[in-house]
Amino acid sequence: MSVSANDNNTKASLRGFLAKYSVLIAFAAIVIFFAVASPTFLTPANLFNVLVNNVVMLAIVALGLTIVISSGGIDLSVGVSVDMASMIFVMLLAAGYSGVVGVAGGLGAALIVGILNAILITRLNISPFLATLGVLFIGQSTQQLATSGGQPIYLTSGYAADQFNAIARTALFGMPTPVIVLIVLAVAVHLLLHRSVFGRYVQAMGAQPGVAWYSGIRVPRELSMVHVLCALLSGVTGILLSATVKSYVPLSGNAFLLDAIGATFIGTTLSRERKPSVIGTLLGVLLLAIVKNGLLLVGWNFYWQQVGIGVLVFLVLAASFGLRRAAH
Amino acid sequence: MSATVLHTEAGVSDEKQAAAKSAGRRFGALVVRLGAIAAFAAIMAYFVIFAPGFTSTFNLINVVEQSAILGVLAYGMTAVIIGGGSDVTEGGIDLSIAANMGLCAAVYATLLSMGYGDFLSVLAAIAVGMAVGALNALAVVGLGILPLLATLAVLNVAAGMELTLTQNTVVGASSPLLGVLVSGSFLGISALAWALIVFSAIMIVIVHGTSFGLRLYAVGGHPEAARAAGLSVPFYVSFTYVLSGFCAAVASILTVSRLSASTPGSGELLLSVLAAALLGTVFSRRFVPTMGGTLLSVLFIGLLANGFQLLNVSSYWVNGVQGALILLVVAITSFARGSEGSR
Repeated sequence: MSVSANDNNTKASLRGFLAKYSVLIAFAAIVIFFAVASPTFLTPANLFNVLVNNVVMLAIVALGLTIVISSGGIDLSVGVSVDMASMIFVMLLAAGYSGVVGVAGGLGAALIVGILNAILITRLNISPFLATLGVLFIGQSTQQLATSGGQPIYLTSGYAADQFNAIARTALFGMPTPVIVLIVLAVAVHLLLHRSVFGRYVQAMGAQPGVAWYSGIRVPRELSMVHVLCALLSGVTGILLSATVKSYVPLSGNAFLLDAIGATFIGTTLSRERKPSVIGTLLGVLLLAIVKNGLLLVGWNFYWQQVGIGVLVFLVLAASFGLRRAAH
Repeated sequence: MSATVLHTEAGVSDEKQAAAKSAGRRFGALVVRLGAIAAFAAIMAYFVIFAPGFTSTFNLINVVEQSAILGVLAYGMTAVIIGGGSDVTEGGIDLSIAANMGLCAAVYATLLSMGYGDFLSVLAAIAVGMAVGALNALAVVGLGILPLLATLAVLNVAAGMELTLTQNTVVGASSPLLGVLVSGSFLGISALAWALIVFSAIMIVIVHGTSFGLRLYAVGGHPEAARAAGLSVPFYVSFTYVLSGFCAAVASILTVSRLSASTPGSGELLLSVLAAALLGTVFSRRFVPTMGGTLLSVLFIGLLANGFQLLNVSSYWVNGVQGALILLVVAITSFARGSEGSR
């Protein structure tokens, strides 16, 4: 009797263990698989390429979403923040302003998106999902109207292009600027979310909004901050994006939305309470980026990559949710 | 999940305890609901007066035709939201519905172009659509994954499979069935418009005229109570996802007939589908999703785009106005709900 109970316990704890670390196990398995399948996968040059091209921009958007999702909300308008920052940044540089003014203008545009979200959510009591969905629609219209229907703005030579290069191509300590930016932002968001009073308020609002309110947290103020931060982080991605591709392509930011949500939620499987965390999110982003890159290296085309990523995310979620359900 | 349950319980006990308060709130809600409908009516009146040809039969049928695809998809989404509960992060949602439609359209058009007949091709499209729906159901009900996440992963799978199948190209298609859908008409109303009318009638009867529909609301509104009352919650929730897949397949046949081809980019419809399903709640007395409400909001979105076209307003405004309307309607709704609506 007692033996079988013991046996059940070990089984349950094994399942719990597998559920908790399913992402890490999947991650390791995928890295090993691609390392065997493709000789170029584990080369420093390739890993560097993955980091710069597939990780940095998505990760910064996902950091913003991590804060929002921690607060119990969602932001569907991150793409708009990316695009608006990119648009204003490129327009300012094209008009001959310096990089500093361009960056400030771009972040300002993202800030406006964030403030709009904050007002809709905290003052008008609209649920974050619907508020940011509305802002997404309005943002798309704004871009189409501003670019006569979605004409990209290219800047290939001259003063503005030099300013782009200064942002995207310079290196500090042997690291390209975007990577440095990501590291600084990730550390900052980690400290903010997991080590500060603000972070504790955010987590409280996410866990129990009613209780958070009754315990004296100024929910509207903190929630506004959450959405403004998310928009600003997305704005940083917008600036890095347009500096890297030396152009502004309307409505390109939306591509980040679903991947960033996916990465953040993959990250939540790391914690027992399914809380988002900066480390989990970064792991989720890395997982998506490595799968994309690996599938490309073993010869899958772009279309199959999407199927592969969908299946993989599905399996990771199934493992995490299913095993945990079985463990209970 | 537990937060939703608590929330609903609190709402119910509130209503019992403070009847007077709730009567006042009900009156407020009525005013707001009529106000929102009046706003819709005012926009329509503006179009009737200022947009040339807006009220012509030809134009109105044209709008109904254009709305058919969005409408069928929005019914699927509405069913999922009814059965899963309307909490947007934890409740029922099917993000894969538009991508699923794209996949079904690709399957249908590809099979037709390979020479298979209408019967087999339609059957295959419906089978694929329902299989994708069943995959969602398995993930949400069987594995307990959050609907938002599960359907997000399935979205990627469906969109990727569509791309692999069509190599991101337009697959032309023609068949007797498509011919009927394109040019057939009955009582002066075109086949595509009939498709929306018949499909709407079926959905409204099933959801609002049968005990099955009532149970569906029970499952979505209060899963614990529904379980205690002996309803099989997993069955009803699974059913909505498979139904949503079925709707995607039907919509795919309509879209192939309208464009005489399957085209990439159907995923872009997702946001409009969500908007239609969520906007529809304002037409219901208790601000819950209803099939009738969804139909009205689909037609409204169609009329809005059409009126803008007739007024020669750039189509770039349509999205923005749609977004502003969603915000307006939802802000008014949450104001009307008062404390009950705020989280």
